Amino acid sequence: MQKEQSRISYNGIQNGGLVKPPVFIPRVIPRSPSVPSLQNDRSFNALNASDPMLNRPLFEDSTKLTPSNKTRLEPDFNPSPVQGSPSTIGGNSNLSVIDMYGDDTESQMASEESDDSPRTNSYTPINEISDNSNIIDDKNIPQLMHRLSLSDTTNKTNNEDNDDEYHKQPIPKSPRVNISSKDAENFDRYGFKKQTTYITEQEYDVWWKEYYQYCNRRKNKWIQLMEKYDLSTKDESIRRFPPKSEKLKRYVRKGIPAEWRGNAWWYFANGQQLLDENPSTYPQLLSKIDHIETLPDKETKYPDLEIIERDLNRTFPDNIHFQRESFQNTEPEMIKSLRRVLVAFSLYNTKIGYCQSMNFLAGLLLLFLDEEKSFWMLVLLTSKYLPGVHNVNLEGVNIDQGVLMLCVQEYLPAIWEYVVPSEKSNTNKTNLNKLMNSRFTPNHSHNKDPKNEFLFKLPPVTLCTASWFMSCFVGVLPIEVTLRIWDCLFYEGSHFLFKVSLGILKLSEGELLKGKHSNSLTHYTLNGNQNKERLNNPEENEMELFQIVQSFPKKILNPNDIFEKIIFKKRITFNNLDQDEIDRCRKYVTEQRQKHIPLSDNKKSLSHTNINDNSNSERSVSSQIGESGYKSLNVQKSKTMKQEHKSDEQLSGSQSEGYGFKRSITSVNWNSGLKQRVRQIRSKKD
Amino acid sequence: MLQFKLVLLGDSSVGKSSIVNRFVKDSFDEFRESTIGAAFLSQTVTINDNDSDVAQEITVKFEIWDTAGQERYKSLAPMYYRNANAALVVYDITQADSLEKARSWVQELKNKVDDDSLVIYLVGNKIDLVSNNNDDQDKRAVERSVAETYAEENNLLFSEVSAKTGEGIKQVFQSIAENLYQIRKKQDTTNINSTQRGNAPVDIHLQRPSTNDSTSCCS
Repeated sequence: MQKEQSRISYNGIQNGGLVKPPVFIPRVIPRSPSVPSLQNDRSFNALNASDPMLNRPLFEDSTKLTPSNKTRLEPDFNPSPVQGSPSTIGGNSNLSVIDMYGDDTESQMASEESDDSPRTNSYTPINEISDNSNIIDDKNIPQLMHRLSLSDTTNKTNNEDNDDEYHKQPIPKSPRVNISSKDAENFDRYGFKKQTTYITEQEYDVWWKEYYQYCNRRKNKWIQLMEKYDLSTKDESIRRFPPKSEKLKRYVRKGIPAEWRGNAWWYFANGQQLLDENPSTYPQLLSKIDHIETLPDKETKYPDLEIIERDLNRTFPDNIHFQRESFQNTEPEMIKSLRRVLVAFSLYNTKIGYCQSMNFLAGLLLLFLDEEKSFWMLVLLTSKYLPGVHNVNLEGVNIDQGVLMLCVQEYLPAIWEYVVPSEKSNTNKTNLNKLMNSRFTPNHSHNKDPKNEFLFKLPPVTLCTASWFMSCFVGVLPIEVTLRIWDCLFYEGSHFLFKVSLGILKLSEGELLKGKHSNSLTHYTLNGNQNKERLNNPEENEMELFQIVQSFPKKILNPNDIFEKIIFKKRITFNNLDQDEIDRCRKYVTEQRQKHIPLSDNKKSLSHTNINDNSNSERSVSSQIGESGYKSLNVQKSKTMKQEHKSDEQLSGSQSEGYGFKRSITSVNWNSGLKQRVRQIRSKKD
Repeated sequence: MLQFKLVLLGDSSVGKSSIVNRFVKDSFDEFRESTIGAAFLSQTVTINDNDSDVAQEITVKFEIWDTAGQERYKSLAPMYYRNANAALVVYDITQADSLEKARSWVQELKNKVDDDSLVIYLVGNKIDLVSNNNDDQDKRAVERSVAETYAEENNLLFSEVSAKTGEGIKQVFQSIAENLYQIRKKQDTTNINSTQRGNAPVDIHLQRPSTNDSTSCCS
């Protein structure tokens, strides 16, 4: 069988002397807990071409399921009884998660000419292979077997035997839960509950009816593009994408087809390279986890385990794949996968260990990618895209918030007034200020303070925006919006997070002004004559801003509210931000903050960085990341390089002054570096 | 109306967000998403002032800052508790460690917040896990008396509650409000504003405690 071959070749690498004999037994890795068969590249076979998205039953409208389309029995789909997975939820009438993608999308594939114009059409779904689930499942290691191999030490000492064992064992089917047709009404295509505190189910259904048409049209466009490059367009066999181009960027920005997402992220983030360079890392980490599980003092030795445990059931409690109903005796497979990925990561990168918010990152990845790939994507997210953000001292977060604040100051002056009250309005309110012990003392925060003190004394709104970065907007925005952002994040880089943040803040400008005019917060104050003051009261403004920034994004149901109104608009100046600018800005903020953070603080935060039992794993982190050529903006590292900074020519200009954003030559505002250079040239001439 | 800033502190998953959710929305979810960063909510309570010449009802508005519990978020904490009037330090009565974390929070507050009038309330959450029947008694990992003694020694308010059943939640905030009101009144009388005595309480902005922590905010 193809699959066996693939596994043999995998083990062949292990045992063929290319890799030194592993200390820990390489284990076969549980495969995708959720999404239809995203196959291991190394073992791709024809069966993988099954196309769940195209195969699923068709129905007109998610709210109107007819019996014929909502009942798709998948006898092979259920996990083995040993697993006790809640496959029987909803009785016999089950929809797989694949079906959840539903809503007869592909049957209405769309237009060629115009990108987004609605179309009726006649795309015929490819109906080749019945069910993808057997394929993924092959790769799944049942918990039972997991335990068997643990108790059986002879297995542990012999790879090949072990591998054979795997084949003898009954292989469980996909850990995905089946979703009853009843649930399909309440949950979206990824298993998230449609209704939230801010969005009703009805609102969701109305919007989705439109949006899924949009998704169809986009997918059709994608198919055409892929065909141009002779690339596969079958959902499950997509490995490669066209070379980067403006056109592809536009396509990505308009949304990658949901069924391709996992593979597209993997491709654009260049995850395969990392996996190819470290084929045995994840299996070894899993073996190590097995080993740790047997230790009596594991909790004191590995404090992250306990913290991870606490967060498992607090990750997407409203998602059907993560949900644990009270009547369930065993936990969902998804939770088991999540545990493995997070624990493996905490062992792999001890500098980070486990940081709350990574549960959401890993959780979302697991909905789209298999476990091992999710693990590597988490590695990439925390090193390449969000360097230092999840480190023990969270300095990376503070740096990114400093960068964001600089951007707000530069691009969103109206919001900036709320974030850091301007000098002018402060002087008008001296008396008031004397009476107040403002949270953000205005004396420290001149609007155009060249020293940018707000960079190390971050304004309170950053307590909210920090979570945007830590979880990459998971849980901050409705899921479809978040996914569109992730599409761009992996294609364009981390600067996109800043763009989107600015976009959200810009959208909330309207909300802020609304609040101001309607005096909606008058009840904050005692009596009428304080209302006037309230409007100029920095602290009240701060709270108002915080509340809006905290809740407003959750109401943005339609991704195109951000993309079409903000991201695609060329006249919006912050759309000129590029990765280079953000990297430069991050560097600047890092340096500014270092000037003001007492050294003792650094030491303190570093001292409890590692509960490191395995220096190997740490070394492997840096070497692997390094070898892959990522210029990880490692905060810790840059601290030690403090002295080298002075020689950094590129930055010398901005170090002494405020940060200068790149601007076009025709712009009235020149950046400070340019100004200096012009002055120099002039003085030479003189 | 009086307005106070209240901050919730404590180890992760002791039930900080659940307590706020019970107080603000009177609801409870078995599994809540972990709090990342901070959440801001507000809620009012009404207290009676019977000491005044004329008995009166006073509305107290709480600005509540709910925080992430994991150790590493501690560096962000000064941003929350700066200018706080009250702190709710929460532990889980089924987790012995969580009381230790609570103690360290109390210590941090006492060291970093230079304000005697800061009201600190120690709350043991999750009594629903032990109070239902005797079989569950062994789930309790922190004896009430231990926490109570610690609270007395350190001049903290104390009670055990359940965010799940709602038991004791309202009373916690009620009692904080009353304490803050008494403090405010005392400060008020020592202030020059004698004319305001017997009238509505002064504007909250007049007296905000401050911190002596020069590195406060996030470092």
